[in-house]
Parts: sequence; structure tokens; C-alpha cells
Amino acid sequence: MQTESAKVSLTEIFLTFATIGLTGFGGGMAIVALVERICVREKKWISSDEFLHGLAFGQILGPFSLNVCTFTGHHLRGIRGGVIAAIGFLLPSFLLVSLLSWIYFTYHKLPQLQAALKGTNPVIIGLIVVVAFDMGRKQIKGINGVLMALAAFGATVFFTLNAAWVLLGAALWSFGRAYFQRRLN
Amino acid sequence: MAALLMIAWIYLRIGLMFVGGGYVLIPLLNHIMVEQYHWLTLRQFLDGLALSQLTPGPLAMLATFTGFRAGGFPGALVATVFIFLPCVVLMLLIGRNYHRLKNIDIIKNTLDGLLPAVVGLVAAAAWNLGASSLSGMQEFITLAVGFALFKWTKISPMFVILGAGVVGLLLN
Repeated sequence: MQTESAKVSLTEIFLTFATIGLTGFGGGMAIVALVERICVREKKWISSDEFLHGLAFGQILGPFSLNVCTFTGHHLRGIRGGVIAAIGFLLPSFLLVSLLSWIYFTYHKLPQLQAALKGTNPVIIGLIVVVAFDMGRKQIKGINGVLMALAAFGATVFFTLNAAWVLLGAALWSFGRAYFQRRLN
Repeated sequence: MAALLMIAWIYLRIGLMFVGGGYVLIPLLNHIMVEQYHWLTLRQFLDGLALSQLTPGPLAMLATFTGFRAGGFPGALVATVFIFLPCVVLMLLIGRNYHRLKNIDIIKNTLDGLLPAVVGLVAAAAWNLGASSLSGMQEFITLAVGFALFKWTKISPMFVILGAGVVGLLLN
């Protein structure tokens, strides 16, 4: 653990997370592994336990790859550190996606680009199917989980219900169950 | 200016509903961008997904692409800032109160219980996007090959997507 006196500079925080943001291909867990290697093992900025707690809390809202960066930055230098870490992590992707978006919307009428994107289109849907498969295997446990997944699928596909309402309903239901179970114990 | 404020408000709301990892954004953004505001066609939305998978960083950079469409570079910036604002603020608050958080169990159980619904939503997104954009044998074969590569090999999605682009260029 770093001692209080040896403060990490904001510039170093920014540069470290910008590097992570620039090289973090693969998203999600691949990025978390990279952050862990650099911040926990190489630089010893944060202990392994605290990092894992940050990861657990990071599941609540938003991408957990970004959340562990914010958490680690905050651990080093408070709110400013957290904000700098988040900006550093997002900036490279932001600039790259902006550039690609600009190219896309300027040239998307080009027949060559149209043809190439026609090829990527079904593959992207294939990727989403794989994600649903893998998440399902990991996250759906027991009959309650199966029913909830089917209900969410059916509500969206057959009743064209907005995904936000489905999520809100599922959150309330799940919170109620967790609350009830706690009172029983 | 009014347009940017609207973008900010829309993405802030999405940021508040951003649970269960980046993939939940696919149904949420598809609904808002394509069906509600018609800022993007379905094809453009899928192209944007391909582009945001080609770059490092979270899938949530799809917000940058859709924001760019809605309002150019300022739109992309506003969309990115506001979609990530809620989760950054939440992580800062958690960091500050880290040692005092006691109801961890109930938070964790609620989140675990919610995840199957996210799975259902992602599956529904695949279904809806596929039903409205796929046609012809060739596309279904491409989908099956893509599925197999993502599922059973460790090839980076970036290369699979680039490869699919090259195949598309040669075939069409």
C-alpha cells in the first residue's frame, strides 16, 4: 500500500488510465484484468481486496471497466483522482469513435463501405446471441431466473414493451425478494 | 443548444438505467435512437455497433456514435459525458463511504436477481434486430459462422468483425 505522504500525481493517474483506455481491447473483464495488473501488482496503488470490492460495487451501474478505474483513481487522490482516472480511461476511445463516426457518416454512401458493412451486420447479431448465451449460462440460476429471463424476453418481443420498463419491473421484483429474504433470516 | 440539452437529458436517463453491463445498452439505445427519435436507421445502428467493437474501451462507446449522429462532435461529447455521469458519481460516492456501507447483502442480492432479466433483454435484442435486418441464406450463414467463432474460439471480436467486413466487400 502507498503511504499517505507519497501522493501519486494527477498527471500520472491520467497517463496511466489513458494508456489502459488505449490498449484495453476486448472490453469488460479484459480491461479489468489490465487495470488489476498495472494498479495492484505493478504500481501497488491499491490492495487486491479493495480492488475486488471496487469491482463488486462497479456492477451496480454502468460499465464495470470504467467503474474500477474511477474507484482506483478516487482511492489515490479523492474526487479529483476519480474524475481524472475516468476521463483518462474514456478519452482515447472517445476520440477514436468520434473519428470513425465522422468517417462513417461522411462516406457511408460509398458502395465499398456499404458492402463491407453488409458483411459485418450478421456477425454483430451473432455476437449478441453469443453474449446472451454466455450471460445466461452464468447468471441464470434456478427456476426463478429462467422465468425472469423468459418474461423479459417475451415482454420485449411479443408485447413490444420498452426495455427500461422491463428493467425497472425486474429491479423492483428482485429488491422485494432480497428484502423479504433478509427479514426471514 | 436546445438539441444538445435534449441529448444530455436522454443520455442521462440512459446512464441511470445502465445496469448489468454494457450490453443492456443495445436494447435501450435501439429503442430510443431507432424507434423513438428516428435518429438512426436500423442498419446504421448495427454499423455503429460494429464500429464501437473495433475500438478499445467499453461497448458503451456506442453512445459516442449515436450522439455524433444526433448532434455532430458536440453531440458525441455531450452524449458520452452524460451517459457516464451517473456511474462515475455513484463510484465516487461509494469510494467516499466505502468503509461505512453496510447493506451490501441487499444490494448484491438485488443485482444478482436482476441479471436474468438483462439476459432476456439481450436475447430479445438479438431477436428483434435479426428479424428486421436479416434476409437471405448468405446472411444467416455469416451469422452462424460469426456465432461459432465468437463462441468457440478465442479470436478477438475486432478481427472477426474486420474479417467479416473484408468478406462482405468481396462478396457484394
